Amino acid sequence: MTQEAQGTSGTGTETGAGTIPEPDTEVSTVSADETAAVAAAIVATALPAEVPTDRGPKISAGWSTGLRWFVALLAGLILFGAFVLANGADPIQVYADIWTSTLTQSGQFQQIILRAAPIALAGLAVVVPARAGLVNVGGEGQLIIGGIGAAAAALWLTPLMSPWVVVIAMMLFAMVAGALWAGIAAAMRLVVKVNEAVTTMLLNYVALYTMLFLILGPWKDPKALGQSTSVELNDAAKLPVIAGTQIHIGVIIAVVAAFAVWFALTRTTWGFRLSVVGGNGEAARRAGMPVVTLILTALLLGGALAGLAGFVQFAGMEYKLRPTFGLTIGYVAFLASWLSRHKPLPLLLASVVLAAIAVSGNSLQINSGLPAASVNILMGLLLVAVLGWTSPRKATS
Amino acid sequence: MIIDLLAGAVRGGTSIMYAGLGETISERAGIINLGTEGSMLLGALGGYAVTAHTGNPWLGVLGGAMAGALLSLVHAVLVVSRGANQFASGLTLYFLALGVTALFGVDYVSRQINSFTPYAVPGLSDIPGLGPILFDHDPLVYIAFVAAPIIWWVLFRTRVGLLVRTAGERSEALGVNGYSIKAVRYWSTVAGGALAGIGGAHISIAYANSWFENMIAGRGFIAVALVIFAMWNPLRIMAGAYLFGIALSLASVLQTAGYAVNQFALAAVPFVLTLVVLAVLGKRTMLAAPDELSKVFDNSRTA
Amino acid sequence: MRIRRTAGALIAAAVVAILAACSPAVSDDDPGSSSAATSSDAAPGKDATTVGVIAVGPKDDFGYNQAVYQGVEALRKNFPKIKVLDAYNIPEDDTAATTMESMIAQGATIIFATSYGHLDAAKQVAAEHPDVVVVHQGGLLDDPAPANMGSYFGSVYEPVYLAGIAAGAATKTGKLGYVYAIPIPQTLANINAFTLGAQSVRPDVEVTAVSTTSWCDPATQADRVQSLLGSGVDVVTQHQDCTKTIIEATEAAGAYTVGYHADASSLAPKGWLTGSEWNWGPLYSDIVKTAVAGDFTGSDYNANYRANMASGKNPFVASKFGPSVTDATKALIADAAKKIEGGGSPFTGPITAQDGTVKVEAGVTPPIETIEQMDYFVKGVTGTIS
Repeated sequence: MTQEAQGTSGTGTETGAGTIPEPDTEVSTVSADETAAVAAAIVATALPAEVPTDRGPKISAGWSTGLRWFVALLAGLILFGAFVLANGADPIQVYADIWTSTLTQSGQFQQIILRAAPIALAGLAVVVPARAGLVNVGGEGQLIIGGIGAAAAALWLTPLMSPWVVVIAMMLFAMVAGALWAGIAAAMRLVVKVNEAVTTMLLNYVALYTMLFLILGPWKDPKALGQSTSVELNDAAKLPVIAGTQIHIGVIIAVVAAFAVWFALTRTTWGFRLSVVGGNGEAARRAGMPVVTLILTALLLGGALAGLAGFVQFAGMEYKLRPTFGLTIGYVAFLASWLSRHKPLPLLLASVVLAAIAVSGNSLQINSGLPAASVNILMGLLLVAVLGWTSPRKATS
Repeated sequence: MIIDLLAGAVRGGTSIMYAGLGETISERAGIINLGTEGSMLLGALGGYAVTAHTGNPWLGVLGGAMAGALLSLVHAVLVVSRGANQFASGLTLYFLALGVTALFGVDYVSRQINSFTPYAVPGLSDIPGLGPILFDHDPLVYIAFVAAPIIWWVLFRTRVGLLVRTAGERSEALGVNGYSIKAVRYWSTVAGGALAGIGGAHISIAYANSWFENMIAGRGFIAVALVIFAMWNPLRIMAGAYLFGIALSLASVLQTAGYAVNQFALAAVPFVLTLVVLAVLGKRTMLAAPDELSKVFDNSRTA
Repeated sequence: MRIRRTAGALIAAAVVAILAACSPAVSDDDPGSSSAATSSDAAPGKDATTVGVIAVGPKDDFGYNQAVYQGVEALRKNFPKIKVLDAYNIPEDDTAATTMESMIAQGATIIFATSYGHLDAAKQVAAEHPDVVVVHQGGLLDDPAPANMGSYFGSVYEPVYLAGIAAGAATKTGKLGYVYAIPIPQTLANINAFTLGAQSVRPDVEVTAVSTTSWCDPATQADRVQSLLGSGVDVVTQHQDCTKTIIEATEAAGAYTVGYHADASSLAPKGWLTGSEWNWGPLYSDIVKTAVAGDFTGSDYNANYRANMASGKNPFVASKFGPSVTDATKALIADAAKKIEGGGSPFTGPITAQDGTVKVEAGVTPPIETIEQMDYFVKGVTGTIS
């Protein structure tokens, strides 16, 4: 069977015209040749290949797109209502509960914002690689590793340095750890040509078990009751909270990061090149772009952003590693990125929406007696609708 | 102790094998389905619920298969008909399944069912060593013994298998010969989901005999790893499922014998092993991948 | 142009953040949420109209959370005028805090956080709402506890010790199996008490302890219990939140079951020996009564409240006996129970650890705080704390 598979595989690499170029042919020729001619080649090859920018051809189709979104979202809501009804609860009451519990209660709204921050950051970790045509399913693991990095900094440096230094160190440790974790996937993509979606997904579990090993082993807090956790972060090193609220500055970090990513993707050469690689790798290669470097930086930056999410979750929310640290944030962030079509600023909104759905699950349970996890249905249906029916494109395969 | 370990591996590996076989069919047709975990969840609940209502675990298996198939049908609609990104669709459906099973599973947490019980094969189960390892299990374990070779045979020796593989290797050839690429991919994905559903049902009605929210606990993702580990070959899926089963069962057996074990290192084995195989044999492994799947991998549509 | 845009963007970001941050702060002051109690300096939980209870698992798991649910039902019965909000499957992360906040937003002024892992969230919520009584099930608070917080629990290991006697008397192979979640003081104390109870009637008994690293993962439970049964174990007990899988597998193998958390004898009609189960109703009710009367602060519940068998108020009680338990065994258990009720303890020395070191000197009875910080297995346990 292996032979058979190998027999056809030769054609495989050729048919995949838009694939990532072999690293060996590229690396040396790139850097010196950045001339106008190359730029022209980029433009020439890039234009026909749907470069995803925030502005552009969409405007004409604006109305029809808007209608599609409306219908798709409405369908998702109606279907969820049907599920609720099938379970014997009153869908209108459920929606009223979701509405009041998320939007009219101040404490709840703060909870949503707090939850949205790491989702947005981990979502950016999907956005950046996606611009280069890469699928980072590994936000979950990169976030956990970021949390481990932050916890390591807290553990080792708290006795030695002032709290502010510890906070900065936690942030750097978390970002570097996340970047390195994503770097494993980047290396495997570039060296042995294994797809990053597969490796990042596998690495999620390795990250989770690494954390579990640490908190049940070497980093276990001897005073922890009930569940094993790491030692709690020193009060002075916890992220400061905006006076009078529960909102910590991680929320601001997330917003700033989103704008920074938006700027980098849409207003820098690097971002433009990423789009070209994502739109048409072959064109990028012919134009002499440093494709290897671009892929590497996109994944590393993605990992660093997810690591940053881990830092925010650790130093702003949970203060310690526990078995459920960051649970499903990375996956929800992946969905948020798709919901926003990988655009950094809409991603902020998408993160808030998904966080609101998650938070509403709790009050749903209290008021309607439905399990909290049933809001995952709503999340799933919205995504199904958006993935399948908001884009005018039809099946190509 | 070795016998306990291997018997545990066969029991525990079975659900992963079903899901892995299903995912193999689907990926052979060019469709990767990260929603396997979701199909298993639905299969576990569907199997449990049907068994609870009918009292017949065989009908439960059928119910589990249908529940798993239903979710993968949505995946097929999204990725085949609507051109959605396969990874995004799969993860979305995992969340959908998580919610649906939480919502409809509440009523079944405390229900008792007439579950599958181990059936010692007369004669064979008396063979020293091999008997307890292979021939003292529930019926779904035995069916898995033959399912892997049969699926291998269908995939590589029959016309249906050729269609599936063509959809995954050179789909345009199907169109040229008057077949519908879409239809082949639909059927393959749905069949894959059905098998994942049976895998889930094995956990709820033959292995753990209970239903709890999120009880699959990542075994569906192990199955996705397994398919790559096994290079899309049903017979290697079988071997790999038992190998991963050993890794999972080792924690039980070593602890029972009083050894200190690092359970998390063991739990990570399926994923680390797959990563290592990819790193060492990376190019070769990916060459074994169906071409259309490689295209999905290499040129993901991200907008 | 570019720079100006970025600056604009950053300002916009800051504005968004500040708006997000400020608007709730303002509305925090508006009446109607929980400020009725804040404005006056009434005692926390006084005249509560709503009580909130969160649990980590499903309410019908034949285990820990089902016991909580039964406690909730008792509250509803005893206080028909008080609304009891209950929420299940609340994970041990920030969701716990969110859920408690939701309950407070709906008027709850007494909160029960019932999973060990809800402790951090409970502390956080208690600190933010001084007018709300937050009690935690099983936690150990620093002394002195905040005026609106407390923890409560039973002496879990006492009935477990008694159940150990039943197990030791029933086993033929001399091998008992114990499936637990993770090594924490409470699980270790239970395993040790069970072992000591069994040893009191059969000194050579061996208890094999295996962990699942999860409070409820049925497939892993199935694997662990099969492995135990395969090694010759003929009595199985557990410290898991959901108990059904292990009990059914044990019953199917023809071995004996010792239950935990709730009466699950219906799952093992033949092999059920006995077990230990929660009876939270009276304690929950008394806590609510105390708080509603305005007497919470300074009461026993405003600390680490522990009820043991000697006080007659232990919420953790022995389950009923199964058909195979002999009268002789029942008499042994009754004797032991009498000793504990008279102030004895399963952990009265000498207690020797696995490695032979003496942990409790002969004749010494360790205080409950020491027991709740146990970090070793006693001699006779096979297993390692990893």
